[in-house]
Amino acid sequence: MYAAVTLLGVSISIFIILRVLPGDPLVAILGVEGHARMTPADRVHIMADLGLSDPLPMQYVHWLRDIAAGRLGKSFFRGDTVSELIAHRGPISAEIGVLALVVSWLVGLPVGILSAFKPNSVPDGLARAMSILFIAIPGFWLGMLIVLALLFWFGYKAPIVIVHLWQDPWQNFQIVIGPAVVLGLAQGAYIARMSRSCLLEVIGEDFVRTARAKGLREGLVVMRHALPNALLPVITISGVLLGFVLGGSVAVEQAFGVPGLGRALVIAVVERDVIVVQNLVLLYAVIFVVVNALVDLSYAWLDPRIRYG
Amino acid sequence: MSLDRRTFLKRTGAAGALILGSRLPAPGPAVAQDMTVRPDPAAKRGGTLRYGVHTAPTHFDVHQSGTVANIGAQSPMYDTLLRRSPKDGQTIIPDLAQRWEISPDGKKYTFYLRKGVKFHDGADFTADDVKATYERIVRPPKGVVIPRTPLFATVGDIVVVDPHRIEFRLTEARPKAYMLGAFASGWNIVVRKKTLDENQGNLRQVMNYPGTGPFKHVSRKDKEVWIQERNPDYWNKGLPLVDRLEIYHMPPFSQELGSAFLSGKLDYARLLDPVSWRKGKEMPGVTAAAFNQSVIQAFWTNMQKNKALADPRVRRAIHLAMDRHTLVEVVKDTAPMQVGGFVYPFHEMSTPRADLEKKLGYQKDIKPAVQEARRLMKEAGYGNGLRNLDFVVREANTFKLWAVAIQAMLKEHLNIESNLRVVQISQWFEEASGGNFDLAISAIVSTLMDPSDLFSAWYGKDGPQNYSRWTNAPFHDLANQMDRELDDNKRRALVRKGEDILEQDPPLIPVAYEQIYDAWYNKVKGQNPSTYFGIYDVVRWDNVWLG
Repeated sequence: MYAAVTLLGVSISIFIILRVLPGDPLVAILGVEGHARMTPADRVHIMADLGLSDPLPMQYVHWLRDIAAGRLGKSFFRGDTVSELIAHRGPISAEIGVLALVVSWLVGLPVGILSAFKPNSVPDGLARAMSILFIAIPGFWLGMLIVLALLFWFGYKAPIVIVHLWQDPWQNFQIVIGPAVVLGLAQGAYIARMSRSCLLEVIGEDFVRTARAKGLREGLVVMRHALPNALLPVITISGVLLGFVLGGSVAVEQAFGVPGLGRALVIAVVERDVIVVQNLVLLYAVIFVVVNALVDLSYAWLDPRIRYG
Repeated sequence: MSLDRRTFLKRTGAAGALILGSRLPAPGPAVAQDMTVRPDPAAKRGGTLRYGVHTAPTHFDVHQSGTVANIGAQSPMYDTLLRRSPKDGQTIIPDLAQRWEISPDGKKYTFYLRKGVKFHDGADFTADDVKATYERIVRPPKGVVIPRTPLFATVGDIVVVDPHRIEFRLTEARPKAYMLGAFASGWNIVVRKKTLDENQGNLRQVMNYPGTGPFKHVSRKDKEVWIQERNPDYWNKGLPLVDRLEIYHMPPFSQELGSAFLSGKLDYARLLDPVSWRKGKEMPGVTAAAFNQSVIQAFWTNMQKNKALADPRVRRAIHLAMDRHTLVEVVKDTAPMQVGGFVYPFHEMSTPRADLEKKLGYQKDIKPAVQEARRLMKEAGYGNGLRNLDFVVREANTFKLWAVAIQAMLKEHLNIESNLRVVQISQWFEEASGGNFDLAISAIVSTLMDPSDLFSAWYGKDGPQNYSRWTNAPFHDLANQMDRELDDNKRRALVRKGEDILEQDPPLIPVAYEQIYDAWYNKVKGQNPSTYFGIYDVVRWDNVWLG
């Protein structure tokens, strides 16, 4: 219910923002010279063609009706449908998102555990410094550095067009790995910090002391007793961090030149391709809301004390 | 009469120059009616050319477009009536019209069309297709905007004499260079009458409409790549030479394009950024070329909104306060530029560069110009400068860099204070055409290099790109006269006169003229754009081969 209200709010916001933003989409359609020579009559005709001359509430209702019917509309420039765009580019962006999540856990969790069990040691200090660094570095900048370093040192550049996983896994891996690592390291830094602080809290608890007193090995104490109890906040933040991954992917895909959905969104914003922008933003919102709903549901599975009434 | 040696040498030298001068060809279009593009005798056939050029087009209607995003990707699929030779990018040669005649009064252009030409869908090409194409360009239907329409403002009737002969009857004669240049413009591709009829004259969303060109559409991935294959039935037998074209859409001057080229993922890159271009130039097996482009980078001064800017002395002062050599330097790692005035600095009719750089406002030492600028400001009553000018900056690296530099120059030289306002391109043109600015920086393009085109579009009283709302009666009279003057030498004199007026009463403040950086691996043969003007006329790849 709340998710539906959130999505409705997002749809209204993005619809209004795109309509009130200054800028004329006809510049992108007609080009600079064409736009300069356009007569008012031409403008009226073209805007009507694009469906942009209807009253705003009607445009909004048409949009919702199309979504309900499973139609996401089409780019009003080239006529390509948004569904085709998502089907073609979505898998690449999804792979980047999932890989980024995997990288963030693979890097963040061990670093957090190490820091928590050796607090204020040299490795802890180093881990904390690195996590601050990766939080601070903008992903697009790191991405550009990686692209340039690979180019100038090894003459390497990832494939320049989309190659799907099922077409050529190796080529596909080369496309997605760069953005996934950049996004994953930034999220991993948050996870490392969060897991460190949660673990520090948990390892001071009585049940951990009891486990140690029973003579359990330290590894078992961590993996069986401390970690599961420290994970809940980390899982929560992972859901929130997905928002950063989705948002960050827009700039990082651009930096790596990966033709994913994020990049399509940037181009659509520049072109003022309203239909594409509003549908992609809504898609991102749906993903964010769904993942966070799943995170909420996972609490009950992870912690038997939590029950939803 | 006594004649010393020095005087004798001077006089014979002058007489010799006069004789030689009278024998030099008059400026005008280099035209070769007997020349058709032929394959290089050493050329090999086959292979795939991977070409990187610009972002993807926002629509597919080449006639309605003004960007290389369309012409760069779509041009290989189409032909024009006439074309510029790919050898030099200048000489006008036959294309679908195998020859042409111009009546003595300059009011009738007759084109004799090739026989046996077929569209990609198998239909025969006839004069009806040319008529439909040009009727649409000359008189676009409602909702269709074609930037080249004004080039054909004097075209009255277009008459199909027979299936392979067509006449363009002008209401008033225009210079041959101008008209032939318009017919040879790469934008004016010939499309099928049936295609236009079926789509109500609007091809914006029609991706694959048949042409007669050397390559045929195979597939397109939006914003990624457009793949085309050799047209086996191309009328120009033996061409094209490569079997397949892969045209990659990549932003101009971007790291993405540069890295794709330098890593060998592209064979030919157009619109490279200066850093990648220089790097490519140093690489073995790579050739890099720079050439002129039909774009002026400038800022406009709103004469209607701001009383001070309506004063020609203030605008000339601003013009003189610009250190143009520094402005070119400021963006040297972002985009290649060159110093120029109000007309393309490389055009045969404009003031030669050496002379231009002697004028105030173009010298490397800007002190005299700044001194004069301050005097003019004082004389106009603005000796203490101006405050709070709204300076609208189009969102792009070059403009943002320049805006800061110009802001500093205005402050330092003339005590003019401005506030920068960076906006997206779509908003810039809205603000500029709505007059919501004091100063506004951007770039504009002309369709032809011919000064008649830019004198009307940029500086004309109702010129679509006259964002300053500038008027100057003597200039407009002169431009009118120039449009009608058929003698090239007289036109040149008129252009120079026009330049003088513009210097004293600037309708815009020229910042720089763009150049294009191309690079290619040496296996790509048959094209060197060094002498080309712009990237809109020679983009067909029919004579290019892979060694």
